[in-house]
Amino acid sequence: MSRVYMENMKDRYREWVLFKRVLVYLKPYAQWVALAIFLLLGVSLFNLAGPYLTKVVIDDYIKVSDLEGLDVVAGLYLAVLIASFVFQFCQSYLMQYIGQKVMFDLRSKVFAHLHRMSFSYFDKNPIGKMITRVVNDVEVLNEMLTSGLILIFSDLFTLAGIFAVMLYLDWRLTLVVCTVFPLLALGTRLYRVRARDALRKNRAHVTELNSYLEENLSGIDTVQCFNREKINHENFKSINLDRLKEDLRTVRYNALYMPSIDLFSSLAVGMVFWYGGGRFVQDEIQLGVLVAFIQYLQKFFEPVRDLAEKFNIIQTAMASSERIFELLDTPEQIPDQVPPNPDVKIKGEVDFERVWFAYDDENFILKDISFSLSEGESLAIVGATGSGKSTLVNALCRFYDIQKGDIRFDGKSIKDINKYDLRRQVALVQQDVFLFSGNIADNIRLGNQQMGQEEIESISQAVSSHNFISSLPFKYEQELTEGGVGISSGQRQLISFARALASNPRILVLDEATSSVDPETESQIQSGIEELTRGRTSIIIAHRMSTLMHADKILVLKQGEILEFGPRKELLIQKGVFYKICQSQLQGLPTDHTGE
Amino acid sequence: MENLKSFWPYISKYHKELMIGITALIITDSMTLVVPWLIKEFIDVLPGKPSSGVLLEYTFLLILIVLFLVVGRYGWRMYMFGPSRKIEFDILNRLFAHLLTLDRAWYLKQKTGDIMSRATNDLRAVREFVGLGVLVLIDAVFVIITAVGMMSWINADLAFRVLLPLPIISFLFFYFVKEIGKRHKAVQEHLALITGQVQENLAGIRVLHAFVQEENEKRKFAVLNNEYIKKNLHVTRMFGVFTPTMVFVIGVAAMLSLWLGGKAVITGSMTLGSFVAFNGYLMLLSWPMMGIGYVFNLTQKGMSAMSRIREIFAAQPEIISAPEKERFVGEIGDIEFQGLQFSYPGADTLSLKGIDIKISKGQTLGVVGVIGSGKTTLTQMLLRFYDPTSGNLLIGSHPIKEISLQRLRDSIGYVSQDPFLFSTSIRDNIVLGRGTDLELTEIVRIAGLRDDIARFPKGLDTLIGERGVSLSGGQKQRVALARALITKPEVLILDDAFSNLDSDTEEEILKNVREQLSQTTTLIISHRLSAVRDADTIIVMDAGKIIEQGNHVSLTRAGGVYAGLSQNQSLAREMEIYL
Repeated sequence: MSRVYMENMKDRYREWVLFKRVLVYLKPYAQWVALAIFLLLGVSLFNLAGPYLTKVVIDDYIKVSDLEGLDVVAGLYLAVLIASFVFQFCQSYLMQYIGQKVMFDLRSKVFAHLHRMSFSYFDKNPIGKMITRVVNDVEVLNEMLTSGLILIFSDLFTLAGIFAVMLYLDWRLTLVVCTVFPLLALGTRLYRVRARDALRKNRAHVTELNSYLEENLSGIDTVQCFNREKINHENFKSINLDRLKEDLRTVRYNALYMPSIDLFSSLAVGMVFWYGGGRFVQDEIQLGVLVAFIQYLQKFFEPVRDLAEKFNIIQTAMASSERIFELLDTPEQIPDQVPPNPDVKIKGEVDFERVWFAYDDENFILKDISFSLSEGESLAIVGATGSGKSTLVNALCRFYDIQKGDIRFDGKSIKDINKYDLRRQVALVQQDVFLFSGNIADNIRLGNQQMGQEEIESISQAVSSHNFISSLPFKYEQELTEGGVGISSGQRQLISFARALASNPRILVLDEATSSVDPETESQIQSGIEELTRGRTSIIIAHRMSTLMHADKILVLKQGEILEFGPRKELLIQKGVFYKICQSQLQGLPTDHTGE
Repeated sequence: MENLKSFWPYISKYHKELMIGITALIITDSMTLVVPWLIKEFIDVLPGKPSSGVLLEYTFLLILIVLFLVVGRYGWRMYMFGPSRKIEFDILNRLFAHLLTLDRAWYLKQKTGDIMSRATNDLRAVREFVGLGVLVLIDAVFVIITAVGMMSWINADLAFRVLLPLPIISFLFFYFVKEIGKRHKAVQEHLALITGQVQENLAGIRVLHAFVQEENEKRKFAVLNNEYIKKNLHVTRMFGVFTPTMVFVIGVAAMLSLWLGGKAVITGSMTLGSFVAFNGYLMLLSWPMMGIGYVFNLTQKGMSAMSRIREIFAAQPEIISAPEKERFVGEIGDIEFQGLQFSYPGADTLSLKGIDIKISKGQTLGVVGVIGSGKTTLTQMLLRFYDPTSGNLLIGSHPIKEISLQRLRDSIGYVSQDPFLFSTSIRDNIVLGRGTDLELTEIVRIAGLRDDIARFPKGLDTLIGERGVSLSGGQKQRVALARALITKPEVLILDDAFSNLDSDTEEEILKNVREQLSQTTTLIISHRLSAVRDADTIIVMDAGKIIEQGNHVSLTRAGGVYAGLSQNQSLAREMEIYL
């Protein structure tokens, strides 16, 4: 088993570039961000008040035994506390608000962008991966913006503030204390490099562990069927062990780094004892200043510890943002040359002119396909599995762009029609019917909220689906659970007919279902198809003889090429392949199915 | 308590390490508490103008104390967090092994996502309870008792007045975290809705695009998304109050200490050093006060997580294997269903009704019928994913329960319509760790995979799934066939196994299989009648019953359901023949 599952950290985007791109999303809320940062600055400053007031109390009041002055300081302290409370509340609410807005924007954008992708994108990308982009990655990014970024600001403000106050109180002592900084920087650097590596590996192992677990759960049948329990357990244990090793490595790095900060901070305090104490003895410094220094130094190392941890959040968020931008940078594969125009009407003439198409630019699935249909004509396509029938239909709806040739509607090239305008007038009924969660009526009307109950019923009646729907316990309000359980495949087909008719298309494209249904549903489907095709151009991928017998024109496909095409009667006279198929079919059929 | 008891063995395995950790923690805490006292001594000695030697002594003393502290902190981090990770590791291993023993009846009731969340999120909660919870509890109790003790010793009256507001912190912390948790759950549930909508959108993207529903879907999504923001801000409001309140309460205590303490120094009831030390101890108290509240949350979460994990451990499979040691002497290829009835657990209708059919070694049984008629359920019985509700299933004239599961499943090759492949190489998927891969080339040829594999970048070693190439439905089905064939099974089940292949390829593969496995009993389920035409016996199923039985000739002549299907499908067949 291949066990290497390192997240591929292709540094396609430089971290700083990513960071800047994330910041762009903050731009619309720039003034709010500025306000939040201002509030944050205030909070950080207020937090520095304690030790300074202690200094004031010791040096200015205790020394001279000024009791009233003490009351004033206490009052002042309380005022600072209250102001800090208000600032902090406003700041945190504001920042969360901005974060949510950004998340909304970004998530909508990713969602909308997914809808601009063509089928070839969805062919290539697993659904789970795309869901992660829209849901989890956006979430992680928000986490970074609201907690990560902001806390870094607050930590930096605090650090700068403490440093400034210490310099103000006594610059000499400050400089002496500063001698521990290089040590601190070195320690942090050593830690960061290693912790980052351990964390990355750890994350990769966790991903691997979870996907292995998930795979075994969703494939439990296969695991048990092939008696894989022991082997898989061994595999799992070894992946788990890898993770444990990295886990423990992280624990060890933290166990070394965290106390080292204690050491540095007490070294600094030790210098206050020694150097500061010495200067006090020489009356160069006041006692309160020393106390304030000791207190500030204890506060100083908290943000340092914090920053080390924040760093990890940022790392994770960067990986997420990279994935999001990768999706957003995927260009739309079927760009529209023309703006949408709801008034564009297609009559229903269809021309294929020497159409070539390949999914991968190499293996052509459609080769030099030419045929034409007049308004209202029906075409039945026959061909073996893999002959290109579905591909032809997909190209007609412009789910893929063809490489060579042209498809024309009423003489207008498919590229000169906005793809949305086109699809609005072409209804596609697929073999596997996809039903959305929601009730039957919603599945028929899809987004068209204006469509009333009566209209839906009359449409359903027309395609013979009304009967079975009204036999359901909740009729049109019947909720369909995921995947539409509880409804037979034939009935699903009937619902999809109603859905197609509800969109009142000019061109109907239908891929007949092959699965067998009971005779009653079968006849309902037949009459449904007749109703659907009435008065509109229709293209049907035929799997049933009766469908062939009702079509105006027939197109026989073989390995992507047209073998025969023409009006049904002419093809029968020519006595080609189509004729042969019909003959062997009709021998066994009762006469009333033969058509004219 | 019941929960804790059942997890105790996992914890006590590391009791030595944990004891070291706890000792180290107490050393750390003691040293932390010594530091303010040292500062007090230092400040009180200063006004006496000490020599620089004395100052240096204080400095070294401080560093000495901190060295102990550093060792202690390293110790508890290693010996409290370390074991908690190891405990997580052990539990997860056991959990995985247990999950593999559970049967279909159990999995039918579960959602994969839910099990995943128990194995990850809940397990993390247990780990945090064991590591962090114990740590915070000991730390908080120890520090609170000693720090309060020291403060009272310095000035009892002052300590009482200053400490009065602090218990509010514990209470608030507990309350806030609980309330935030509740609101957070609502957010999570809403996020699940969003996930659901995205999932459905992507699954039905072809329909949505065909009917130009993009704008509608975006609008619907925006509504959900907006609601999500509201729910999130609901949590945020809580957070917005939470942290500032904590800071405020601690601030008030510090203010009181400064104010009343300052007065005490002025009136001479305490030294300046004591005043500073008092403030120092107060600062040390703020985290443990929150810690007490935190411990309650960790415990609450840990306990409910434990009970959720325990539910999995408590589940037992209903299908009990016969002991593996006893050799099974019957002929596995002889299969007989005797008046077999079966209903899925929890279902009130029978999925199989009075199934009576006998297949002898080497024979082929064809099964046809509409979706949901019970064809696949039949195969589930043979693989013993379920036991029959009533009636018998005899394998080699013995009840199926007398064969060990291992032997039974080793002897059956099962290929389903939508086979599950592991995300490893194609080779590993076919061999699946069973014996040699000497015959691999031959098997690949029989399964009609040769040309496909030649096109892959690394041939048989090409990875499949998200990390490698994605296989088409037809390729998956043929890999699954190869994986079933490689052991030369005594029974081969093809459950609509070639639905994604054209019928030419299907017939060719079936021919290969027949040549290769003439002694194998074969069960072919198919929607395409061409696949079952040559079967020794064909049954037609409907609503769990066998409604027609015979061979192709007799059934076609009978003019029943089979004959009707045959006529319906002849067009497709003609097309495949002529085109």
